[in-house]
Amino acid sequence: MFAHIFSYRLKCLLHDRETIFWTLLFPLLLAVFFQLALRNIDKNEIFQVIDLAVVDNAAYRNDQFLRQALAEASTGDDRLFNVTLTTAEQAEQLLQTNAVDGYIVVAEEPTLFVSRSGIAQNISKSFLDIYLQTAAAAGDILQQNPARVAELFRDLAGRRHYLAEVSGTAAEPDTVLNYFYTLIAMACLYGGFLGMREITDIEANISPLAARINVSPVHKLKAFLASLCAALLIHLAEIFILLLFLRFVLQVAFGDKSFYVVLTTILGSVAGVSFGAFVSALAKKAENIKIAILLGVTMTGSFLAGMMYHNMKYIVSRHFPLLSCLNPVNLLTDAFYSLYYYDTFTRYALNMGMLCIFIIIFCTGTYLIIRRRKYASL
Amino acid sequence: MPVFKLCLKILRKNVPSLAIYIFVFIGVAVIMTFSSVNEQAGTLAFTRSKTNIAFLTEENTPLVAGLKAELAKVANFVELPDEKEALQDALYFRNVSYILRVPKGFTEKFMQGEQVRLEKTTVPDSYSSAYLDLSIDQYLNLARLYLLHLENPTQEALAKHVADALAAEAEVKLLPGGAAPDMQLSANLYFNYLAYSLLSVIILGMSVLMLSYHNKDLQRRNACSPLSAASFNRQFGLAILTFTGLVWLLFIILCLLFNSKNIQSPSTVFFILNSLAFAVCSAGLSFLIGNLVTNAKAIPAICNVVTLGQSFISGVFVPAELLGDTVLKIAGFTPAYWFVAANNHLAGLQQFTRATLQPVFNGMLMQIGFALAFFALALVAAKKRRLE
Amino acid sequence: MVVRIKNLVKRYGDLLALDHLSFSVNDGEIFGLLGPNGSGKTTAINCLLSLLEYDKGEIEIFGQPMAPDAYHIKREIGIVMQNVAVYNELTVRENIDYFCGLYVPDKKSRKELVDEAIDFVGLADFADFYPQKLSGGLLRRLNIACGIAHKPKLIIMDEPTVAVDPQSRNKILEGILALNRQGATVIYTSHYMEEVERICTRILIIDKGKPIATGTKEELKAMITMEEKITVETQQLTPEQLARLRALPHILSAEYQNGLLVVKSGRGGHNLETVLSFIRKEKIQCGKIYSELPTLNDVFLEITGKHLRD
Repeated sequence: MFAHIFSYRLKCLLHDRETIFWTLLFPLLLAVFFQLALRNIDKNEIFQVIDLAVVDNAAYRNDQFLRQALAEASTGDDRLFNVTLTTAEQAEQLLQTNAVDGYIVVAEEPTLFVSRSGIAQNISKSFLDIYLQTAAAAGDILQQNPARVAELFRDLAGRRHYLAEVSGTAAEPDTVLNYFYTLIAMACLYGGFLGMREITDIEANISPLAARINVSPVHKLKAFLASLCAALLIHLAEIFILLLFLRFVLQVAFGDKSFYVVLTTILGSVAGVSFGAFVSALAKKAENIKIAILLGVTMTGSFLAGMMYHNMKYIVSRHFPLLSCLNPVNLLTDAFYSLYYYDTFTRYALNMGMLCIFIIIFCTGTYLIIRRRKYASL
Repeated sequence: MPVFKLCLKILRKNVPSLAIYIFVFIGVAVIMTFSSVNEQAGTLAFTRSKTNIAFLTEENTPLVAGLKAELAKVANFVELPDEKEALQDALYFRNVSYILRVPKGFTEKFMQGEQVRLEKTTVPDSYSSAYLDLSIDQYLNLARLYLLHLENPTQEALAKHVADALAAEAEVKLLPGGAAPDMQLSANLYFNYLAYSLLSVIILGMSVLMLSYHNKDLQRRNACSPLSAASFNRQFGLAILTFTGLVWLLFIILCLLFNSKNIQSPSTVFFILNSLAFAVCSAGLSFLIGNLVTNAKAIPAICNVVTLGQSFISGVFVPAELLGDTVLKIAGFTPAYWFVAANNHLAGLQQFTRATLQPVFNGMLMQIGFALAFFALALVAAKKRRLE
Repeated sequence: MVVRIKNLVKRYGDLLALDHLSFSVNDGEIFGLLGPNGSGKTTAINCLLSLLEYDKGEIEIFGQPMAPDAYHIKREIGIVMQNVAVYNELTVRENIDYFCGLYVPDKKSRKELVDEAIDFVGLADFADFYPQKLSGGLLRRLNIACGIAHKPKLIIMDEPTVAVDPQSRNKILEGILALNRQGATVIYTSHYMEEVERICTRILIIDKGKPIATGTKEELKAMITMEEKITVETQQLTPEQLARLRALPHILSAEYQNGLLVVKSGRGGHNLETVLSFIRKEKIQCGKIYSELPTLNDVFLEITGKHLRD
């Protein structure tokens, strides 16, 4: 009986090619968009060259060190600045019209004029800071030891790097990964729509098909479970395709605990589908409201787990820790990240534990509501 | 105007679902604006807020002490036990975004002029960590400079000299006129997030409307009536625009409420105008989607791709400066890109003349162009479906 | 006794849908449940099937109390609902196979049953079609096939011929008779009295949830006083002639409107002859004359004062 219902349900669901197409395609498309947008987020490199104007006054022309420093910073393909020499009025005009990000006027010391405090402006300031500090040091040294000018310049040019990145864990902390993990978690929760449909087709007061099932000698819950498994299978297939796409096409890292990654995915899928079933069983006939609740919860959960703005995740965990435990999207995202980042399983087990509690709540709730019963009205 | 009235009735009947969508997406926009403003104001203002770092040192020398003292200007030191798990956890939860470790023997090797390195473990995404890198490197490079050119300096002397040099700081003048940077930033961000939130609500609201009309029998019935297709489309379009207008108004009112002190700024007017252009464009896009997609279950998926995808590559969630040129070129095919670009340009303006506002007007024109294209395509799609 | 319902009461809020409804169905009967729209037929059926909660009453099927988990009873029941309940994503054959499979787990015997069902409803040419491609009548046939494929002992059909073309309707009615001949008991609800008259062995007329009358066709018709209805087309009938006509023996009523004289006469025989001789005597010129036997509608009309098809 199980196989009978299962196979027919599978046939039914697969017949609806358009839905399967879109539910399969949308996370893949989003992953591509994420990849495009997030490529550079870790690198802290600026790909937009900063436009600076420098007022070409006497003080500037005399300051050969500043000129040299600016010249170095504005040559080459990976240069920091595009420097234009202008008059004072021109410079102000350029700034007012946003043609440059800022302009420099050299008096005693160089001053930076900007109209806002964005990334470009901060970088320009840092550049000037470093220049001034180095110049102060050089001046100080020259005062004490004027003879060693040449060596001084040589040493100035030979700037060193004193930092080595060391990771204390199996993997480096990685922000980009969070986005992709939230994407998988969101796709898992979208399985709720499949769960929703299962309830519609089994609750007699919602559809005539369900009435037929209710009058048949098949145990309602067995029929429901068989049907649900078919839906789950399809959803799992879609998520796995997403997983494979992320791993092998977009090269997203998952760590090396593949078995647990798969396990997490399966549980995530179950959580999503059972959540949809639960909402549908609760809300009964109000089709539009059910969809709204499902979408609302999923998108809010995704937002709070850091999908649009990754800092959200930390803001929530710092100020509303309970909320981050209660958000299934966050639990899934965290689970994936724990597998990637940590060597031990403590964090992972915690997340999975919470998720399982959710699954139990959803399943039990659904079961209690749809247990064989008579309806007040059909 | 029977079709128009019916549309309004359908929308009114579905107010609970629409309310959920509006609440969620406006909430997202507002919360994101607040959080982003706080973060960016912290890291990007010229009065920088301090980063949380863990400073672990295996030796205590004056050089190291001097480094720590300098870093204290830009960092908050968080006491952490030197245990792997505690450190992992701290980074994971962002209690610290930077862990600096001074390995044993560092100072000695440094004083001998060797190329030694400090160990850092960071969260590599924020500007704070890059800025810290710069500060540390600067300190040690200056120290090296003094080391090479002073006669047998002691560590204390080094530390003092470097500290003095580091006192130099470039002066920055924020030009007067225009709104305070904070306000510009928050308005800029809020309207950017509108690209995601407003479009999402409109598409989802539209789907509620379209699905009532997609019943094949209903369509046949409508096709037989003396109502011309043009009139039908006109009324439908009007209903969509009305809904869009109402939602847009809601977003704007909220913005003005939160930003009440800055309403006077002229840039506010242009932000609002720009968002109006985007709202019209959203209406067109959702009309098109509603006519192309008949399957109710596919709408949430498509909505997600269109809103999130567009927003990510157009600079809504990831600042435009961090997107590569190719990505931005691709994004140029979406209306959100023009909307966001205009917003960003507007945020930096101090003068509001024809010339300075030209890019903003260009952006708005592009969006209107998109809107017309969407509406036209939608009508074509509707016609095609009617003839099936 | 296959079905026994006693004192069934069902309320929807303030509305009393079923008012102490009682009836029983015997083995081998085609039991008709006749009543106008809104009389509670479907409600009664749904209560019978344990789909609907009811406030009071006892329901027994095959001698055992009916409950939502009485699977042994459900196995022997087949239903054909008012709304077409089939999967749009499965073909005709797949639909029938699926629903039959809920009752008959064995694949081999099921295949025969499915083929038989398809032939029975005449859908052999459409076996691989999807429901969207079928006309209303064919869809109804599919609906029936899904309900009877497993050869149940009790078949319950709730208005199965609504919106069905005459050819399909005929086929359906013939089919029900065939099923009955094969041994199934049928409960058939409808508001089409012609169908009920045609196939049902015993009939219950209900209105507003209350039983009005029950019995075979003949018994029901015998309940009313009218035995014959005679209609005469004439343009010239004076009120005095009408009064004289009314005074004749066994004439229950005589109405003259729009050129039609309708005479209802009671028991006693020779009614047509009475009217004809009256017309001859009065030398009334008339066109067509026809006589009808009472229908169930007349039964309903006389008892409730309303028409079945209001």
